[in-house]
Formats: sequence, C-alpha cells, structure tokens
Amino acid sequence: MTATPAAAGAKISVRNLKKSFGSNEVLKGLEVDIAEGEVVCVIGPSGSGKSTFLRCLNKLEDITGGTVTVDGYDLTDPKVDLNAVRQHIGMVFQHFNLFPHMSVIQNIMLAPVELKKLDRAGARAKGMELLKRVGLSEKADARPASLSGGQKQRVAIARALAMNPGIMLFDEATSALDPEMVGEVLQVIRDLAAEGMTMVVVTHEMGFAREVADRVIFMDAGVICEEGTPEAIFGNAQQPRLQDFLAKVL
Amino acid sequence: MNIYRLATRRGRAALGATLTVMALLLGAGSASAAVMPAALHQGLAPAAVGAVAPAAASDAKGKTFAIATDTTFAPFEFRNGSGDLVGIDMDLLRAIADNQGFKVDIKSLGFDAALQALQSNQVQGVIAGMSITDKRKLIFDFSNPYFDSGVQMAVAKSNDAIKTYADLKGKTVAVKRGSEGETFANSIKDKYGFTVKALADSATMYDDVKAGNSVAVFDDYPVLAYGVSQNNGLKIVTPKEQGSSYGFAVNKGQNADLLAAFDAGLANLKASGQYQKILDKYLAAPETAKQTSFFELLANSFPALMKGLGMTLLATALSLIIALVLGIVFGFLKVSESRVLRIIASIYVEIFRGTPLLVQAFFFYFGLPQLTGRPLDVLTAGVITLSLNAGAYMTEIVRGGIQSVDPGQLEASRSLGLGYVTSMRRVVVPQAVKIMTPSFINQFVITLKDTSLLAVIGFAELTYQGQQIYASNFRTGETLLIVAALYFIVIFILTQLSNALDRKFNK
Repeated sequence: MTATPAAAGAKISVRNLKKSFGSNEVLKGLEVDIAEGEVVCVIGPSGSGKSTFLRCLNKLEDITGGTVTVDGYDLTDPKVDLNAVRQHIGMVFQHFNLFPHMSVIQNIMLAPVELKKLDRAGARAKGMELLKRVGLSEKADARPASLSGGQKQRVAIARALAMNPGIMLFDEATSALDPEMVGEVLQVIRDLAAEGMTMVVVTHEMGFAREVADRVIFMDAGVICEEGTPEAIFGNAQQPRLQDFLAKVL
Repeated sequence: MNIYRLATRRGRAALGATLTVMALLLGAGSASAAVMPAALHQGLAPAAVGAVAPAAASDAKGKTFAIATDTTFAPFEFRNGSGDLVGIDMDLLRAIADNQGFKVDIKSLGFDAALQALQSNQVQGVIAGMSITDKRKLIFDFSNPYFDSGVQMAVAKSNDAIKTYADLKGKTVAVKRGSEGETFANSIKDKYGFTVKALADSATMYDDVKAGNSVAVFDDYPVLAYGVSQNNGLKIVTPKEQGSSYGFAVNKGQNADLLAAFDAGLANLKASGQYQKILDKYLAAPETAKQTSFFELLANSFPALMKGLGMTLLATALSLIIALVLGIVFGFLKVSESRVLRIIASIYVEIFRGTPLLVQAFFFYFGLPQLTGRPLDVLTAGVITLSLNAGAYMTEIVRGGIQSVDPGQLEASRSLGLGYVTSMRRVVVPQAVKIMTPSFINQFVITLKDTSLLAVIGFAELTYQGQQIYASNFRTGETLLIVAALYFIVIFILTQLSNALDRKFNK
C-alpha cells in the first residue's frame, strides 16, 4: 500500500517506465504523474508507444523496468493483487471486446457478480442504471452482435464502469467506429470527464482532446516528446516532431 | 527377442527337410477326410492313460483358470453363428474341466497374443491347436498330446492344373504366418521352384487363392478339411504330411495342478469315448454345408454382431470421456504461461500422435503387463489405448479452440479484475467450446472407427465379431459388407444427433 517515490496526491505515478518486446524497446523511460480527476489525452503517431503505455497502467503488459503506482499500489511489486487493483481501473478497448456469448446486461453484470460485489438482482439494477446512462436501456437483453459499433462501445464503457472504478483508460475508443458513430461515444466520455473521473485517453480525435483534456501528452518513438495544456500543445507547439504531427492530422 | 521368436505359430522348427521325405512315405494315402478320425485315434499317445490319478485332480478342483486360445482356428476354436466359442479345443477343454471339477474362463485372443498372455501370466494355460516343439518346451510345460496334425495342400475347386508339388513351379502359394504349413512350404519351395506368401489367417489365405493371387495353400489338415466342408471354395489335392502333435500348455514350472487335471481328464474322456465323439462332431464324414442366402447370413450373424457393436460403443464411450478429460487438462497446460507445463503437454501429444495406435494397443495389452507383472484385461487395455490416443488429439483441439478465441476477450475480462481461472471459465471456454464442437464430433467418429483396431488384441468388438463369422463360414465379402453397413449406420445416426445438439446449444 505504500506509494514509494510517487508524487503526493498523484492518482497514477509512472517512474522511468520501460517496456521491451524482445529486443524492441517500445517505451524508453516514461515519467508521468496524473492527479485525481485529471483528464489526460495521449496523442502521437502509430507505433509511438501510446497504447503500450496505457496497457502498462493496468499491467495488461508486463513491465520491463521502472515503476507504475496506481491508487497507492505498486504494480511492479510481484506481491500486489492485480485483480484488486484492476477493479479500480476501467478499460475501454478499440475493438470493444464485448463477450459475444452473453447479452448486453450479462456483459455488464459479469464482474460484479463473479467478484461478489453485488447479488444478481443488485448487479442487474446497477447494470440497467449504467445502460440508461449510456442511452441503451432498451438493449439490455440484446446480443452484442446485433448492436452498431457505437452502441457496442457504449456498452463496453458501461461494462468498464460496473465495478465503480476511480480511473478510466480509453485505448483509441473511437478508432474502429464509422464516423457518424464517433460523436455518441465521445459524448459519453465527455460526460464522464465532467463528473470528475480520472481518465487517460489515447486518441486520434484532436478536437476532442483539445476540448476535454486537462493535459495533452505527445508521444513519439517511446518517449514523451512534449506535454502541456491543450492550448500549449495545439496552439504553441515547441518540438518540430509535434509540429510535424499536428500538420499532418489537423 | 528369443522369447518372441519362440512365440510364433505352430511349430516352425518341427519339420525339416529329412522329415519331409519320411512323411511323404509314411503319410501316403492316409489323409482323406473320411478316414481322419480313425487315424487320429490311433495316433494318440496312450501313455497318459496309466497316469490317471484322481489325487492329482483334487488340486485343481473348484478352481477357476483363465485359458487363452486363438481367435479362429477352425475346427479347433471358432465362433458359431450365435457368437459362442466352439471347436475341438473348446469342447475338449470344457469336457475336461467338467470331468475334473474345475472351471475355465476362456479368453479368445489370437495365437501369438495367447502365448504372450501366458508368458505375462495374464492366463494360466493355452489351448490353441499348438504343436509341441522342443523350443516351446523350454518355456512351457505341455500336457500329453491330444491331437496329431499334419500339412496338406489345397487349390481352388475349379483348378485342375495343380495336382502335385511339381505343378507349383513358378507359382505363388499362400501359407499362414508362423504355421507348420509355412515351415513345410519353405522346406520344399527351392526343390519345386515356387514362391511362398505368408498371410495372417486361414480365411485371408483361402480368399487369396480364390482371388487367384496364389494358386495353392498349405495348411493343417483338420483346418483344411473343415474349411472344405464349409464351402470355402477349395479342394484338397495332396496326402497329409507327417505332422506334430498338439498339446495344452502352461508356463514352465507353474500350474502343475492344472496340467495334471488336464491329462487326467483327457485320459478319462478317451476311456469313456467322449473324446472320440468330440472329434467326430467336427471331423467325421463332414457333410457339405448348404450355402445359405445373404439374408439368412444376416439373420444368423446379427446376434453376434450386435454383441460386438455393443462393445464397440462401450469402448468408444469410455474412451471419449477419459480422452475429453485428458484433452482439457493437457490442452490447458499447452496454453499455460509455464514453459515446463507446456513442454509436458507437448511431450504427451507428440508421443501419442507420433506412434501408431496399433503399436500402442500392443504395448498396453502385452508390453505393459510384462514390465509391471500386472495383467490388464482387454477392455481396460483397449480403453487406455484409445483414451490416451484420442486424448492427444483432443489436447490439440482444446489448444486450438482456446487460441482461436480473440485474445482481446481474455484481456477485457482480466481488465475487469476477474482472475485467470474465472476469465477462462466464463469468457474464453464458452466461446472455445463452440469453435471446438465440430472437431470434437470428428474425433468422436475417428475414435469409434479406431475401436476396430482393438480386434487385433482380441477385444470382441464389431470388426472382431465379423472376422470370427467369416473365419468359420468363409463368406468374407458379404460379412464385411454387413459390418461396414453397421458402422456406417451407427456413425451416421450419431453424427446427425451431435450436429443437431451443436446447432441447438451453440447458436
């Protein structure tokens, strides 16, 4: 439980984070502190290590070096109960990863019921509440296969919220969506931001990042190249690489 | 190695070239089927009669002995239409057991298998039309001879060209592997210039001649005479060669009480005339059996085939249940994070996928008991073989099924805080099962068909019952058609059922 050299008050504290796949070093010593309630958007070109960085925050990737401290838990400590830590961190994936053999409500109820957080009736009530929040109450008993992409991603967000996490991670949550469905998903994320959820959002939606982010991190080639307020990043980029990137995507 | 060589069929070494010449002289004109029983009767050693000692019998009294025999060596042992083991050996053994007050549990294994079963102490005795030879005497104790045999040549009924050994020049003759017929044929093949082709059993041999692949067969005369009487399509063209005597065997130095009881019973049966009656039943003045219609064959063989089908389904069901458990366990080891566990599972799969099922069956039935000293019954050995073999394939099906589920499914579940086991159980496995089901059904069909290979270790399943039937009626083609049809019907019904269940539960 001891948060070692983490900055006081930081919800997430990353120190000298390194990650290699074989001989390929993808993350080259990241230093990040994220405060409670902060919304951080991570941008950067493909292969810059954004998603890997995000996946290290709930240890879906093994960490090669450095430390990641979340809610006071040191994820690199082999004794830490990862399952307990992950209940505090919701994650939303690019390809939704809904469980196709379960109905929408069963997808949402799975974790609360299996982890004995709630009984079935309680979990269902809570699940319906979350579905209402993402505007999909009428789809509770539908199979994921019958939903549109935007609906699937909203269900995935509801599922990630079912354990009442204090942190939400979004891994290119709108990249796989048809353009007309991006808005409905971004609206849900926007609402969460407004409620004060701590969030790390890997995204290609620059307008969205500019709108909701408290801070924007630009990554390139496994390092944090530049970070700052949306105004500073989008309005007054310092690094040539960021200027180059923004010139291409904006 | 030496032991195995000794275990080959009826008296390979019994006849040499010199004996052949003597036999030709002695045996001239003695072997028409009609005079056989009388000749036999005279040929039997009378020594045993004096040795009748009721005291010896009391040692075996009340006991039950497992006795192994050949699967089909008509008229010594074969199955009649209703699937019961009958024949000279069988009737004699049962009559002796009755006479001496012991019980027998007869195991129909095949000749080589019977000898191996005896050596590995799975059975106490063997009666299988076995010649008493000096080599066999090194490892077995024999009873007094109960039958005198000899080799004759037969050709297709329609063949009038081959009448003597000299007519065989440049031709091929069929013999039974390891039989006295083979020894004899090999001893004269250079002199007469023919080629010898060794086959597994009498029925195959006769079919080979009828198909024209071979022109003649050399076989023990009672076997040939019986076959001819059953319309096997052959005729006997040469007189009987001097042959060896058949005896009942136990392991050397073991089961002396059983051996003594056999000798005593044999002497009693001879004295009472029952012995002669048994021989006459199979050999005296054989009337030519009427060829029955296909439907009569079907009706007559149906009870035995159904019994076989039952055993086939039993072995399939047991094997699949065990194989499923093995497949799940090793399949999960194969996708586990531990290198050691993955290697263990891989070794298991490679061994059982990389060796023939037949070799595995032989190993578990014959090899393992010799190594451990603990006999396995044929159903157990068969189920172990099929389970381990099918389990290896199931392992690959399970591994493939799990790995074909999108890794994002496991990640999503783990990211919710669910543990590995819960995630597998609730998220990955239900999806994997759906993917695996068609492969499972396929493996199920393969295992069902693979049970037919267990016929070679004497497991009385469907194919084995079919072999038994055509071995005694020589109607190979029709019988195999019936057997194949039964497999087809059963597999068709079961696959349709499985597919319906798959559709119902794996929507």
